[in-house]
Amino acid sequence: MTTSTKPIHGAQTRRTARNWLGPIVVLLLLAFPFILSLLSGQPVDTGTPKFWQGMLIQVFILAVFAMSYDLLMGYTGILSFGHAMFFGAGAYATGILLKHSGWGLAAVLLAVVGVAIVQSVLIGVVSLRVRGVYLAMATLAFAQMFFILAQATDLRAITGAEDGLHGIPVPDWLNPTDQRLTFYFVALLFMVIMYLIARRVVDSPPGRVMVAIRENEARAQMIGYNTFGYKLMAVTLSGVMAALAGFMNALWNLNATPDVLSVETTINALLMTIIGGVGTLIGPMLGAGVYQLLGYWLNATFGPRWPLIIGVIYILLVLFVPYGIVGTWQLRRNDMRAGWARLIRPLRTGLEADTPGATKK
Amino acid sequence: MVAYLRRNTALLVTLGIVLAILLWMTNRYEPKVTASIILSGLTLGALYFLVASGLSLIFGLMDVLNFAHGMLFMMGAYLGFTAYANPRLLLNTLPLVLALLGGAQVGRWLGGMLPDKLKKPWLDTALHLALFVLSVAVILFAVRGFNVQPLVANSATAAGGAISTADAQEAASLYIPRLLWLTLAGVLLGLGLSRVGPVATRRHTRWTGALIGVGLVAVAIAIVPLRTPAETFLLSVSSNIRFVLALLVGLVAGGALGALMESALIRPLYSRPLYQILLTLGVSFVGTELIKTIWGTAGFYMDIPAFAAASGEGCPSPNLWSWFSDHCASIDVLGRPFPSYRIFIIGLGLVIFIAVALLLQRSRIGIIIRAGVQDSEMVQALGINVRRVFTLVFALGSALAAVGGVAAAPFLGVNLGLGAEVQLQGFIAVVIGGMGSYIGAAVGALLVGMARAFGDQLVLSGIQLPWMDEAIRMSPSIARASTVLIMALVLLVRPAGLFGKKE
Repeated sequence: MTTSTKPIHGAQTRRTARNWLGPIVVLLLLAFPFILSLLSGQPVDTGTPKFWQGMLIQVFILAVFAMSYDLLMGYTGILSFGHAMFFGAGAYATGILLKHSGWGLAAVLLAVVGVAIVQSVLIGVVSLRVRGVYLAMATLAFAQMFFILAQATDLRAITGAEDGLHGIPVPDWLNPTDQRLTFYFVALLFMVIMYLIARRVVDSPPGRVMVAIRENEARAQMIGYNTFGYKLMAVTLSGVMAALAGFMNALWNLNATPDVLSVETTINALLMTIIGGVGTLIGPMLGAGVYQLLGYWLNATFGPRWPLIIGVIYILLVLFVPYGIVGTWQLRRNDMRAGWARLIRPLRTGLEADTPGATKK
Repeated sequence: MVAYLRRNTALLVTLGIVLAILLWMTNRYEPKVTASIILSGLTLGALYFLVASGLSLIFGLMDVLNFAHGMLFMMGAYLGFTAYANPRLLLNTLPLVLALLGGAQVGRWLGGMLPDKLKKPWLDTALHLALFVLSVAVILFAVRGFNVQPLVANSATAAGGAISTADAQEAASLYIPRLLWLTLAGVLLGLGLSRVGPVATRRHTRWTGALIGVGLVAVAIAIVPLRTPAETFLLSVSSNIRFVLALLVGLVAGGALGALMESALIRPLYSRPLYQILLTLGVSFVGTELIKTIWGTAGFYMDIPAFAAASGEGCPSPNLWSWFSDHCASIDVLGRPFPSYRIFIIGLGLVIFIAVALLLQRSRIGIIIRAGVQDSEMVQALGINVRRVFTLVFALGSALAAVGGVAAAPFLGVNLGLGAEVQLQGFIAVVIGGMGSYIGAAVGALLVGMARAFGDQLVLSGIQLPWMDEAIRMSPSIARASTVLIMALVLLVRPAGLFGKKE
């Protein structure tokens, strides 16, 4: 499998400089509802602030989903076209357990993780026997199987067939309509935790092996790594993260419909990853934000057929900007700096010449 | 003998399983039920074959897994249905397309006369980028306000549109300027295209190309006043002729779309294999959205053409030979009527199978294709323009899928679920048969079709094991999901498929 990103030069040295950036973004996001409330003059839990909290909650959930997809595609080099099955299974498990079994939220959370582990290990063991396009097809087929089963009329009592599950009961303190601010903070916390976990995994020795598999699997095998085990680990981790995103999605939308299992859901993850940058963690999250906001804007401007435009943008990105926002930035950073420096050099030297005592270079 | 057995274990085991299931079926069901299950399986198999063969050839030759194949099938179904039931949309867009194409031809010829390289490379890049941007802008300007909805608006009777011709069509005074603008856009596009690619290939732009381009534009303008009479004429001829026309429309449109997709979108990505898949997925997404935009989200029913729709006295036809004279809607198979249109689909699949097999085995281009599947670099080293063959095969595969879509339309209906469904079954067929093998695609498609037909019958009649009081009945979606399991099994046991070469 070919590489999707170039190794990032100077990433280690830049890490220290960027350390303060993450917390600042999180702080900004924490303060965001209040800032917006100040700006718009409306209370935090109504009107514009409430609406934008909703938008961001969706972004946070999608960000985790896209990030989990990139752990597979960008870091391990496994192109799966069935990622929706983990997301959807998480959503359906949440819905079924909350609605039909009446479990508590914590128990449901654990159950979702359990279901996701079982599901991703099973799917992983079967489909990781093949690679490349075969794997893409196998995962697509499995995902379609789940999609078909979710729509099957035989299981109407459990899954609600084509209509899906609606009106999932959620504890009052986490009601997305009444307690949106709480939900906002919970979703933000969820995203931050997931990011930290993913960061930790990616920076750990197993994470490095994952990248080695992406770059050259045969070589990684030659060095003595059990690549199958590492790939299975990546699939499981990614599956659990996607399922948790599905769990949050079910809580947020209060429903689980067959749509969450459809190919479109996988394509969305792919889109967000490609927009943001393959092979980075920040990229997919940024991509989720761009996708959601762009979608909102396009929907407002062009009406219900906005995915057409998104699709065209996606094709153009694949053709011309394959590394996405973050990837391109990382690749071109030095060039851009140099170009910028070249551009302002005459200005600076001019200024320096004017200041008394300056030595001309 | 032993070596032969060992080499073909998977094939023989599959044959054994198929035979065992057939035996079990004849045991369990009456012969007439078995016969109609087999015929249904053949029908589905023929359709899946049309999808799988293209997928397999494309993958074999250029290692591109075309995730847009199902979309092309669906596009074929929609276009064919439009040509069959309400040709108005096609008649009104055809001149626009011709004008653009003709303009592009002229533009390419003009581009051949420009100096090869400008003094500064960035000026060159800027020029060709500017040409593209300008041509897109002119295209957008030309088609602004062109209202597709009344052209598509369809009545349930499928005899023309719901809106009368005069209201739906644009007056020539509005329409001709569009054509001229599009010609200009085409010229700009052609100029831009002529600046892409190695200098050696763009020198030889012959003036015949320009002549063809001018001819196309002239034809486009000439047929503008014929839009209304052509529609009336087409709707007055028999449905058989319209159906043949629909198949041709599918063939041409599918081929053109495939060629366009390969040359414009996939060609730049041969060095980045994974991105090709991502791109075809994007194309499938855009194509589906385009269909939704033009035809709306509701599906259509396409009437069965007259040659397989007669009813009344003497129907169902007692056998295939008498069907050729009485054209009944169904044929008697061992005492059970079977829709004759499905027999036609089987026949069509068979004819196309043989035609493409002959093309691959007997013609020069077929030899090149087969050699390319083996080793395309070697073929290129021998001085054959493999890239052109790539485009050709992509067009061929897409055309087969689109024809399949047209043929499937009266049987499966025209709706948005068609693409994903057929694509999945096509993938399963290709995986079973082995990527890159033409025969494999045919066998795989047949197996999947049979499995579907058999599975549907099984879940409908219910499964009753000896110790059960009551049979378990399930919905057909369970049978659909079960074909996926077959694929998983094959991938596990023999990832290269039945006929594929080992990696």
